[in-house]
Amino acid sequence: MDQSDNVLIIGSGVAGMEASLMLSKAGKKVTLVEKLSLIGGKTIKNEETYPNMDCSTCLVAPIQQEILQDGNINVLTSSLVEEVKGDAGDFTVTINKKAGYVDLVACLGCGMCYPVCPVELINEWEENLTNKKAIYVPCAGALPNVPVINAEKCLQLNGTETCNKCVEACMFGAINMIEKDEKVEVNVGAILVATGYDMLDVSTINNLGYGKYPGVYTAMEFERLFAANGPTEGELVMRDGEKVPSSVAIVHCVGRAQTHYCSNVCCMASSKHAHFLHHKLPEAKIYNIYSDICLPDKTYQKFHEDVKAHSSKFIYQADRDKMKISEEKGNLKVEYLDNNNKDAFIQVDMVILANALVPAIGSDDLGKAMGLNHDKFGFIEAQPFRIGSVATSKSGIFVAGCAEGPKDIQNSVIQSEAAVAQIMSLLNT
Amino acid sequence: MSEKIGIYVCECGPNIASKVDIEKIMQELAELEDFKDKELVIKNHKLLCSVEGKKFLEDEINENNLTHLVCAACSPRDHDTTFINVCKKTKLNPYMYQIVNIREHCAWIIPDIEEATSKAIRMIHAGMDRVLYQQPLEEKKLDSNPDVLIIGGGIAGMEAALTLAGKDRSVYLIEKSEELGGKSAKLKELLPRQGINLNVLHQKISDVQSNRYIKVFTHTELNSIVGFLGNFEIIIRDVIEHDNTTELLAGAVVVATGFDLIDVSSLDSYNIKKDDEVYNALEIEEMLSKNGKITLRNGKEPQKVALIHCVGRPEVGYCSKACCDYLLKIANLIKNQSSKIEVTELYKHMCLPNKLDEEFYEQVQGKGIDFIKIKNAEVQGTTINLTDIADAKKKLDVDMIIVGTAMIPADGTAELGVELKIDQHETGFYQEAHLKINPVSTNTDGVFVIGGAHGPAGITESMLQAQAASGKILTQLIPGQKIIPEVKVSEILEAYCTGCQTCLEVCGFGAIYFDEDKGISVVNEAICRGCGNCVGSCPSGSIRTRHFTNPQLFQEIKEALR
Repeated sequence: MDQSDNVLIIGSGVAGMEASLMLSKAGKKVTLVEKLSLIGGKTIKNEETYPNMDCSTCLVAPIQQEILQDGNINVLTSSLVEEVKGDAGDFTVTINKKAGYVDLVACLGCGMCYPVCPVELINEWEENLTNKKAIYVPCAGALPNVPVINAEKCLQLNGTETCNKCVEACMFGAINMIEKDEKVEVNVGAILVATGYDMLDVSTINNLGYGKYPGVYTAMEFERLFAANGPTEGELVMRDGEKVPSSVAIVHCVGRAQTHYCSNVCCMASSKHAHFLHHKLPEAKIYNIYSDICLPDKTYQKFHEDVKAHSSKFIYQADRDKMKISEEKGNLKVEYLDNNNKDAFIQVDMVILANALVPAIGSDDLGKAMGLNHDKFGFIEAQPFRIGSVATSKSGIFVAGCAEGPKDIQNSVIQSEAAVAQIMSLLNT
Repeated sequence: MSEKIGIYVCECGPNIASKVDIEKIMQELAELEDFKDKELVIKNHKLLCSVEGKKFLEDEINENNLTHLVCAACSPRDHDTTFINVCKKTKLNPYMYQIVNIREHCAWIIPDIEEATSKAIRMIHAGMDRVLYQQPLEEKKLDSNPDVLIIGGGIAGMEAALTLAGKDRSVYLIEKSEELGGKSAKLKELLPRQGINLNVLHQKISDVQSNRYIKVFTHTELNSIVGFLGNFEIIIRDVIEHDNTTELLAGAVVVATGFDLIDVSSLDSYNIKKDDEVYNALEIEEMLSKNGKITLRNGKEPQKVALIHCVGRPEVGYCSKACCDYLLKIANLIKNQSSKIEVTELYKHMCLPNKLDEEFYEQVQGKGIDFIKIKNAEVQGTTINLTDIADAKKKLDVDMIIVGTAMIPADGTAELGVELKIDQHETGFYQEAHLKINPVSTNTDGVFVIGGAHGPAGITESMLQAQAASGKILTQLIPGQKIIPEVKVSEILEAYCTGCQTCLEVCGFGAIYFDEDKGISVVNEAICRGCGNCVGSCPSGSIRTRHFTNPQLFQEIKEALR
């Protein structure tokens, strides 16, 4: 086998997908490894993307479909890279493909297997806002539209009892309870790490009441709450399933003091959330509490100003660390230092915390398995002091998207396309 | 050859089978009055997209010698390509096949089985009507030229040139000024996160100059360009002596024409004269590079310096991204020059979108610089009247002001855009093909936009964009590989064209030209994307788009609306 034509891409978000398709069109064979059972990354968690309010699914679904139908791209879902040996031009990679127990070819996603499953689990993909069964797809519209079984919780697989209800419900014989985890070995000439990000756990921040008061949400929770394929089918109701918020505070820069960097996307995401709220709840009072507004694209300020003019009051807080959220008479009280350094507060039904982007869980182990350097925040480091580089500390391994640091969709795609240039140059010489 | 139409109804497991009456569909299709004289093969299958289903379809096409194929199944988004690929394995031309979506359009949305069935029958009937009018189409293969023209010799253009040039690919780099390097060559030093040392950039200039696969033309601009991805014919010219031209051939173009800084004296809130001690950041960088230190016009060191962020931002309506960073860098350089100089930074929003910026900000804050968050500021000479965030009015007298001015599109951006047939965003910068998912491509295939021409950008971003465009070119224009243009393109019927040229105006891709000799419009099929704008605009009805001709559409609509 000629490794020079093979590339491993880790992570199937916008960055990983773009690189996969580009390399495939140039005749390269791509192995695309994804930790979850679905591809598309975090972008598909958004109903719409700023600033043009493009429907995310409409942007990404055609790309996902193209990837799944591309003969040059081997998609390995529910898979983790375990070991990387070798050097640029000749890597040997061991991938652990977790058993999903459902045949990707035989299953067509009819959904007959979920209702019969007796096990109820929390759906983490939906930010714990809803439940799923032990056999599940994380959300409606997931691609590939093929469920997987949580072996630890499945009554049949964990040995609790003989269940097999899903096997009986499947008309295509697609469920195979004796499937085993599989080690897949691939030889590749280059590797792209596009493992994305996670969100800072805000329950670690004092005084913000997350986890304590049900009216406090993270940005991603709100994003799912707004999504038509989300836990409430897009209806903006609070955790009790009934209350519709009549006032909402969106707090910017949550966790910046902990992370020591600006997360790049939150000001625009928060403006988008104000826009969402205004459209679904035109009567609601919406406040954005910020210290600095960061709008790093030629198209962003216009959108932000429209939101500011039509839907949301922007309140300056002098010190991010002085914010305190408490509950008072059924309302949330948001206390902050105002523009005169004086104590001030607003009362609202709902708070959305625009929390920081942090390195993806597991990227530390992955980096170590490949011998990559991490920066002091834990992101994978592009070659230091080589300005504008997407090369990592190890030759032949490149990094793109939020694996390298917080950034928006277009800059993730740009890094991905840049990495493709480097990979093409490396493999063709 | 007589017509033989195959109609295959996919049950999609229970997805379609349980929501429409498949038997009834097949029976009624078999009895269609207007297909009495046609030979039909009507069959159902449990799952056409499965491995077994595709084989079944392939065998059916071959064994029955089908001349037309209709698949009643799911959304074309799901499996149009699947069935096209099946056709490609057989002798049936894939353009003689039509998919009909009876899953999303019938089974999944109509609760009543009878209604869903009746709609499915009509939709399939419409598909049958349409497919009879379809024509076989063949893909064309065109030779392509892998060479690249890069317009602009700044950091973005040079980075692209160095990424692209190689033994199989020449790069022509044209630069308006006498020298390579653009604005970044004027800098004193880089940001700490960029490694400070400017040698990296100077090295790029000599790398470009010594690269045998890069031909540099300084004092040169684009004269004209025609063609399409893979085949552009280009004429470049001397910026002064326009008759002094050179012809080039290339397969792709990278636009890296950079930005300008807004003229501070043009702003209403700045009442300044020419020799006032007001400088933009580039002037300071040049002063530092030349003299090694910052001085007033009289050669003395300033005592009090104010740096003002976001100058011109209200006028242009966007954030220029790089200015907060570089003003911090300049403040830091001033403090390093002499800690005695009083430095004040007046900012509205500190925008530091790179992960390593915050640490630098904290370092600079520790150097005794006064940071004032303002709502606005007016400048009279070197006196600043400001309103701070707490609405307090303050007056600040300094002996030097450094302004972080908005980046604006470079001179000539509009004209070059017209020649290259690429759109401008409302800010005046070039518009990307898609802001989110296709950020360095443009509406013209084969033309890419990077760096300051794309929008305000720092050096790192410009270099990444340069590599991104290179990635696109390296994967789209492979030496020796042919290009397959769109098949479903427009064609003009010569006999009917009156030469009114309305189609030229509506074509977003510049795919139509006017043949002066014949007095008619002509479609360049390699550029046309088949959008159909010209078809709709043609007053004499002389244009049609292949695979979407009026008879084809009428046939489909006629039955669907019956």
